[in-house]
Amino acid sequence: MGLVESGKLPKPLTKLLNISRKYSMWVYQWGLACCAIEMGAAFGSPRYDVMRLGVIPFPASPRQADLVVVSGTVTDKMAPVIRRLYEQMPEPKYVISMGSCANCGGPYWDSYSVTKGVDQIIPVDVYVPGCPPRPEALLEGIVLLQEMVANEDMAAKWKGDPLVVD
Amino acid sequence: MTAISERQQRAYIASQAADMRVNVELETEGMTLNIGPQHPATHGTLRIIVKLDGELVVAADPVPGYMHRGYEKLTEVRTYPQVNTLINRIDWLGSFANEVPFILAAEQLMDVEAPPRAQWIRTLLFELSRIANVTLFLGDMAVQLGAVTPVFYAFRDREYVLNLIESATGGRFHPNFDRIGGIKDDLPKGWIAETKQVMVKVNAFCDELEALLLGNEIFNVRTRGIGVIPPEVALSYGMSGANLRASGVDWDHRRDTPVGLVYDKLDWKVWTHPDGDSFARYWVRLQEVREAAKMVIQLCDGLPPGPIMAKVPRIIKVPEGEAWVATENPLGEMGYYVVSKGELVPFRVKIRSASFNNISIVPWLLRGVYVPDVITILASLYFILGDIDR
Amino acid sequence: MIRLSSTDIDNAEGAPATDELRSSLVEGLVAELHDGVVASHLVPGRDVWVRVTADAWESAGRVCRDLLGCTYFCYLSVIDWLPSPFGRSMDSSVDNVLEGVAAKDPEPMTHGVAGGESRFQLIARLYDVNRHVGVNLKVDVPDDTLTMTTWTKLFGGANWHEREAYEMFGITFAGHPSLRKLYLPGDFEGYPLRKDFPLLARMVKPWPGIVDVEAMPGVADDEGGE
Repeated sequence: MGLVESGKLPKPLTKLLNISRKYSMWVYQWGLACCAIEMGAAFGSPRYDVMRLGVIPFPASPRQADLVVVSGTVTDKMAPVIRRLYEQMPEPKYVISMGSCANCGGPYWDSYSVTKGVDQIIPVDVYVPGCPPRPEALLEGIVLLQEMVANEDMAAKWKGDPLVVD
Repeated sequence: MTAISERQQRAYIASQAADMRVNVELETEGMTLNIGPQHPATHGTLRIIVKLDGELVVAADPVPGYMHRGYEKLTEVRTYPQVNTLINRIDWLGSFANEVPFILAAEQLMDVEAPPRAQWIRTLLFELSRIANVTLFLGDMAVQLGAVTPVFYAFRDREYVLNLIESATGGRFHPNFDRIGGIKDDLPKGWIAETKQVMVKVNAFCDELEALLLGNEIFNVRTRGIGVIPPEVALSYGMSGANLRASGVDWDHRRDTPVGLVYDKLDWKVWTHPDGDSFARYWVRLQEVREAAKMVIQLCDGLPPGPIMAKVPRIIKVPEGEAWVATENPLGEMGYYVVSKGELVPFRVKIRSASFNNISIVPWLLRGVYVPDVITILASLYFILGDIDR
Repeated sequence: MIRLSSTDIDNAEGAPATDELRSSLVEGLVAELHDGVVASHLVPGRDVWVRVTADAWESAGRVCRDLLGCTYFCYLSVIDWLPSPFGRSMDSSVDNVLEGVAAKDPEPMTHGVAGGESRFQLIARLYDVNRHVGVNLKVDVPDDTLTMTTWTKLFGGANWHEREAYEMFGITFAGHPSLRKLYLPGDFEGYPLRKDFPLLARMVKPWPGIVDVEAMPGVADDEGGE
């Protein structure tokens, strides 16, 4: 990937790389609350069958994952754990926030123990609204993310500040 | 002679050394194993810290709270209809069943009774929630034992039931359909006939799982005699529902104290099992799904005509008082202790959820079991995180 | 001393005027605890409440379990009878403390059924699974110590419930084996279920649900009930 890092990747090659990334998303399921069951229905049930979209919902650990779906209420007790597992994922990594609770706190917007949105702790690429969203809505979110990945310029991602390892 | 004794001596020393080495190798130090907070076996985010001696569990300490959302505080700042929306999400698999005891408690304080048709539809949806909830357990328990197929069957057949709930209430997961004094809407056209067809599928699902699992040798070895809970211990920990009935205690709110629901007009049976092990808990739940399907068909046949709402004011103020109403929810006894001060919002609502008590037995139950059984026992207790943490 | 105030409740239609089973529970408690029972309240056909003194709390649980057959531990919780200093949190202008509106003057404290004298009251429910009857036990927690005897020796399930009460209300249980936080992260300060614990999100943002209590257009005032 030296070419990518130098920012000199030819356009057709970028496109090819992006298509391959788009259709081999390993997704880590971060099921937290009600939405986890709808996520399970989307990923595990024969009716919705997420694998036809090129998404593989089986990584055993976040270290093997490209995408994480945070589905459900994030509490203040859970937030540090989510942050840590997100940091364990290798770049490039994407986050889908599923459901109102993960988006903004949802029905628990005034609770003393709920984090008002997972985007306060990790960056989110796609928000899927609903309480809980139907499995089809999650699939739509994945399709949106795949479109984003297809048009991404990997070299641009590397042009930012150099990575500093503490 | 000296040579022999020398050889003997050397052999003796060698055997001693070998013994010591074996001892050193076999002697294991205590180990602390952390399961969760994100683990496939915990249906969400329960964390369990297990202290091990070899393969044996010495102590287990569950750490709940990763899903604590503060329901009891939030109910104090929401009106009664708004509370109804919120408490759907406690046990998220059988959402409608969460609403019923709260609405019944509010109705008891207001001295309102829902019309018969509303009571029948409530019972109908209550039992459909039970099927939607417990079928997932029936598949999931097998996953924890390493059999992947049943969970696909469970998700497949559960979808039919969810479709029914959705077409009647508008919500796949969180119906928010129950109202103080009745229910929101009548059933849609053609719903009854479709429900009966789906119940045939649910019964077929139960037969299929029984054939797949209950006779399976691995399933039997992994569940029979594992995680035995004696009835007195179960009672002192406040276990309820199928977990209690699997320990041989014949108690079911639906049969014994059917407040506001029409279980006394139906022909059904409460199943118990004397063993109290993981197998018994699975077996009792399997029978409960069958009974629920049986009840749903009877409810469809006997649905009386009439209004679905009693006369209640548009803005609901509940008179001063205290009420406790509990129902037999899919996970066990769920009750609400509502304290009202005659205002728009409740003064205090104590939510007694079933899984909280069912899981508080874990430190007692997991002491002395083997590591692989930790997962099967947890799965057989069947909890939902929202129901523990609230 | 003992008030059996069962007569002041008007009976619902069809409900029996007397309830022998439930009153026998009250009599059983009185016979064992004597002065330990402060007050009781019985609604025939529905439920019974018994308030005991702080000293009799543990023995009340024991009597219910061993002599009255109530072996099923349902729950244990706390009621904070202090009227909320933040109003009912429905009215955003009252709620908006940050904008300089002072907290409301607290209304006088009133207690529910079976009475009460202190701010915090423990409530526990025990149930008899054979006779299908339950009893609600209440006890006043002394305001100065906020300490109560533990029930963990009687009911295994009380362990977590008391930890929850400790975390949410700050009630200490003497003799509890491991009284530590159950739900909240270790650095959480305050006791969230106390009435004077503010929900900060509500103070910085008006409650959007306030529209619910506005009159619908075209609806006459007398129809709305308010």
